[in-house]
Amino acid sequence: MVDVSRVQKELTECNRDREVSGVSIALHDGANISHLTGTIAGPADSPYEGGTFVIDIRLPGGYPFEPPKMQFVTKVWHPNISSQNGAICLDILKDQWSPALTLKTALLSLQALLSSPAPDDPQDAVVAQQYLRDYPTFAATARYWTEAFAKSASTGMEEKVQKLVEMGFPEDLVRSTLKSVDGDENMALEKLCSG
Amino acid sequence: MGNSDAASPASAAAARDAKKKRGNRSAAKLKQSKRETRRGQFLSKGQGNDGNDAKVATSPTGAGSNAGSPILASPHPPLPRRRVDSRSRGSDPEDREEAGAAGLEVDGSGLDSPGSDKSQGGDCHQRKGFSGNGGGRSLSSGSSVWSSSRSVSDAEEDTGGPEDESEVFDDWEMAADALYIDDSSCNQSSGPTPTPPPALTTAAPAHAARPEPIRSKTRAWAPDDIFRPQSLPSISKQASFPASIGNRWPEMGMSAAQQGILSLPLSCPICCDDLDPTDSSFCPCPCGFHMCLFCHNRIKLEDGRCPGCRKQYNTVSAAEGVGGGGGAKAAVGTGREMEKRLSRSCSMGPSY
Repeated sequence: MVDVSRVQKELTECNRDREVSGVSIALHDGANISHLTGTIAGPADSPYEGGTFVIDIRLPGGYPFEPPKMQFVTKVWHPNISSQNGAICLDILKDQWSPALTLKTALLSLQALLSSPAPDDPQDAVVAQQYLRDYPTFAATARYWTEAFAKSASTGMEEKVQKLVEMGFPEDLVRSTLKSVDGDENMALEKLCSG
Repeated sequence: MGNSDAASPASAAAARDAKKKRGNRSAAKLKQSKRETRRGQFLSKGQGNDGNDAKVATSPTGAGSNAGSPILASPHPPLPRRRVDSRSRGSDPEDREEAGAAGLEVDGSGLDSPGSDKSQGGDCHQRKGFSGNGGGRSLSSGSSVWSSSRSVSDAEEDTGGPEDESEVFDDWEMAADALYIDDSSCNQSSGPTPTPPPALTTAAPAHAARPEPIRSKTRAWAPDDIFRPQSLPSISKQASFPASIGNRWPEMGMSAAQQGILSLPLSCPICCDDLDPTDSSFCPCPCGFHMCLFCHNRIKLEDGRCPGCRKQYNTVSAAEGVGGGGGAKAAVGTGREMEKRLSRSCSMGPSY
């Protein structure tokens, strides 16, 4: 089974310098130590700058002898990350994993991947094509996606709240509903209308 | 005991050597009255002493294959100095592994050289040097206890030194008390010893950390004892020493394990459990990546690549068999073979 002591040590170690490194890890649901949520800050001087990217981490039973399973929850426009489901193409998460690596080093590697894509070994062929043929468009799209999906949720949330309140729903109900559907405006509206 | 049998034909020569050694010893470290009186006690106790002294001389011969002194002696001039502290470490299992690992390479020279008398002496120095400063005394009592619970051949080879003391005393309590007294006097003397060479000061705490597990079996340690690894203020400073010359250690005959203990993390980087001395001395890959034996075993079963450098272990250890000390096989598997070697060289020793 998962080496609990090692994972706990990794968590404390990683979160100790989260301000500096820009990566942090938290338990996903508090109880299960093999399901974690990582966040990485978009690297500076890249289209992802300013974004906060959430990554779903699942530790297989063989961890750390097997690589952790990581997947972007936040939508990202990147040649090596699926724009559909967030799957990541990175060798250290597959055959080049080593038990000496940690969750933190893996997240840092993802951060590095964001700042230096490898379009020759793509996960998302469309994005890779765009990256190679029309970099400005790629950069603009990536920046837009960062803006739309990875910028701090609270500002976007305020706008949505504002919008829904203008529709005539009470503010506290709007807030709780938005929270329950993870900020999805349409779902919230549906719920508010039906409820 | 095969040892005394083997020793008796050559007891004259061996005794002469032993005397010479003893002379050196006292000259080197200002042995004071306690020790002398005890020695007198030995002599007055009867004839067995010659045999015992011979044992002192021959027991290092058991380590004759141990880390060829010719290699060691030149880059490490201060080593002979440490012979004074003598007799203890031999019984540490991992030490013997190290010795074996190193010895595998230089075995031939130690055995075949006509001047093996000299080389034995060198080995003796090296081995004795491990016990560190004055605290060596109290260790030696520990090693006797330790060896008594092990196989006969181990006891012969490893604790020839302590035996010659312990046989004089009827029971362990007496022996331990005497050793303790001797220990304290040694500690006093080791203080004013004219500035020990840097190699000595570095090696002493390093090896001091090793016998800790045995410690519980021996007497309590003095509060100011040198063998308290963590509380020694100088340890961290000295830890930089092996790092700087770390790469040269293998060619000096030091096994990778010894350099490892200083630069090593205290816990396994993979499972985060504490590394015990066996794990610490275990260095399966020339890249220097350390881990505990459990993790290494699992990796060998599944992946077979070193976590540190991603090289396959098989090719690594094959390549290393020629060059470096402490290959996976050498470090782990050769306990039995080692013993054979030791006993062989031991029985050959006195004939010179």
